[in-house]
Amino acid sequence: MSYQRTQTFNSRRQQNWSRNQNTVAYVSAIKLGPVSHTVIIALMITVLGLIYLTQATRATSYDYATQKIDSQIAELNSQKSDLQIENARLTALETVKNSSVASTMTAPASTSYVQQ
Amino acid sequence: MNLELQKGSRSKTLAWILIVITAVFVIRLFYLQVIQHGYYVNVADKEQIKRLTIPSKRGVIYALDGSIPVPLVMNQQVYTVFADPQTTTDTAKIIDTIRKIAGGNARTDLQKLLDTKDSRYQILATKVTRSQADKIKAEKLNGVGFQEESQRVYPEGSLAAQTLGFVDDSGVGRYGVEGKLNDRLTGKDGLLQSVTDVRDVPLTIGNNNINRPAVDGDNIVLSINRNIQSYAEQALANGLKRTGAINGSIIVMDPQTGKVMAMANLPTFDPSKFFEAKDPAAFNNNVVSAPYEPGSDVKTLTMATGIDKGVVSADSTYVNTDHIQVDDWTISNATFGQTGTITFQHAMNWSLNTGFVTVAERLGDGKSITRGARDTMYDYFYNKFRLGQNTGIEVAGEVPGTVVPPTTSEGSAVRYATMAFGQGLDATMIQVASAFCSIVNGGNYYKPTVIDGVVDKNGKYIPDKASTPNLIIAKSTADQVREMTHVARTTNFPGIDNAGYYVGGKTGTSQVAKNGTYSDDETVATYLGYGGSAELSRYVIMLQVSGEHQKLAGNLDAMPIFTDMSNWMLNYLELQPKG
Repeated sequence: MSYQRTQTFNSRRQQNWSRNQNTVAYVSAIKLGPVSHTVIIALMITVLGLIYLTQATRATSYDYATQKIDSQIAELNSQKSDLQIENARLTALETVKNSSVASTMTAPASTSYVQQ
Repeated sequence: MNLELQKGSRSKTLAWILIVITAVFVIRLFYLQVIQHGYYVNVADKEQIKRLTIPSKRGVIYALDGSIPVPLVMNQQVYTVFADPQTTTDTAKIIDTIRKIAGGNARTDLQKLLDTKDSRYQILATKVTRSQADKIKAEKLNGVGFQEESQRVYPEGSLAAQTLGFVDDSGVGRYGVEGKLNDRLTGKDGLLQSVTDVRDVPLTIGNNNINRPAVDGDNIVLSINRNIQSYAEQALANGLKRTGAINGSIIVMDPQTGKVMAMANLPTFDPSKFFEAKDPAAFNNNVVSAPYEPGSDVKTLTMATGIDKGVVSADSTYVNTDHIQVDDWTISNATFGQTGTITFQHAMNWSLNTGFVTVAERLGDGKSITRGARDTMYDYFYNKFRLGQNTGIEVAGEVPGTVVPPTTSEGSAVRYATMAFGQGLDATMIQVASAFCSIVNGGNYYKPTVIDGVVDKNGKYIPDKASTPNLIIAKSTADQVREMTHVARTTNFPGIDNAGYYVGGKTGTSQVAKNGTYSDDETVATYLGYGGSAELSRYVIMLQVSGEHQKLAGNLDAMPIFTDMSNWMLNYLELQPKG
């Protein structure tokens, strides 16, 4: 047998406390059913998911920044490597031998040694 | 109003429907996420996770300039320019741009390549440098792409080509140091395993990410001095031009360390265009890979054996008749007329075969080359001077040669008689030069090497620790033989060395065995010598020149090349003359 309250109940104490004041305490008539609860929980999960995605996306954005920096490093290393090769070619023996400075050099007529 | 839910009410029905639908979802999700977990994880990983190889950088090879490493072999990023003919639009612009920028690296038939519409990949240019690739990219040509690759570059050209070797198209080192130390130069590729986006940018999300950095190959510093190497190649080339010889090899060593300062062969090749070499034989470093009968150079080792065993000295005498009988063979001198009772110094000066066969006999009973004499010679030649076995030098293609042991039927007295003057055995120049270094430096044998150290990741040069030598003959023995070769040189070739230095050496003219007999129309000319002060020899030079059907003599064809190289070395090393 089911029981259901059929009218508003005010306690005696409340009645005493509010004697002569003609006050009325109302109970909210809004009640949440199981569907509402489900929807609210789903919304909460969605919000939490969005928060997670936001954080994950932020981490991913750092990955792109890292990738960009790595690319710059690789590019600079490549340029450095090219410059080292160019430097090596410019200081190679054949280059030095064929340089204008070398072409003006002459063999010494005589050599003297400092006595050790 | 009765708000009690009644059995069979619509709410209850809806609730049950929701429960059933939810159950279906739960069961389906359970099936997908739990039972099929492994399968879908694999599918997702294949789609999302990329395994990228991080290529290791091949080590740079340096030579020395004094004590400063200078690069001989470096790496350069180059690009292959390709096109997808089905997506290219402005063919004329592509051809014009590629020809203008890539120049000689562009293919000649660009129009034909771009007209091949049934192909999705046509190579338009290869070995394009980064700056050239950047210029082509700036033109924003539709359907044109780039593939990056690394190639070896040689700032010094073909200098020390056979010592360096080359790297083939598959990235494997061949010949020389590249071949011998391929693993050390290659390093180890790294691995990047990561979830990637659609552009293959690695992302940090995911639990199975691996980032194992590549281990680059060692940057190796050779003991080759580029100035000495350059002059050695020039001196050898001049020598070949003067004598008309076809082939030549030269090695310059530091007798106090066993380090090779120069090593060259002619004909040579350009390692950056190894594929254009007409004769692959040019890839071989004959100093280490071409054993031959060294000839009279070996008399210095025979003399050292005799002196070390106490059976002869430079001043000991024997009776020279220009011929000597060994079993049923008669061995003759190449130079006649120095007959009578003469010293072994005289025999060295005139390179008399009879003198050194006599040394071999005195290692036995004094009359014949007994088994005991042969055992002694084998012990010195093979075990101490290490002829006929690989030295372990860090150059690919080393060949051991042969010293026939007396335990075999071929190790007869006649063979050992011929071995006493440098025939009847096969040895490489690196073996003979290393053995001679031990005579020049006071009796210590150093394992020959072309490696001097490494350059670390910070660019700091770290020399290897000095190797520990083995004392193989007494210092007094070594000093006496060294003096004998000094006397032999100054007696035969007075005034050709820079004044005030202590230079010595020994000629060698060896016959060439062909089809089991010695050829009458072909000899190899060799010279083996050293230079420095009386107290300290600073270099050992060994060279040989040869050619098909060419009769070449050590004193005429090889010795002048030594003199040229030796006098240059004395100046280059800034040695102060005495007296």
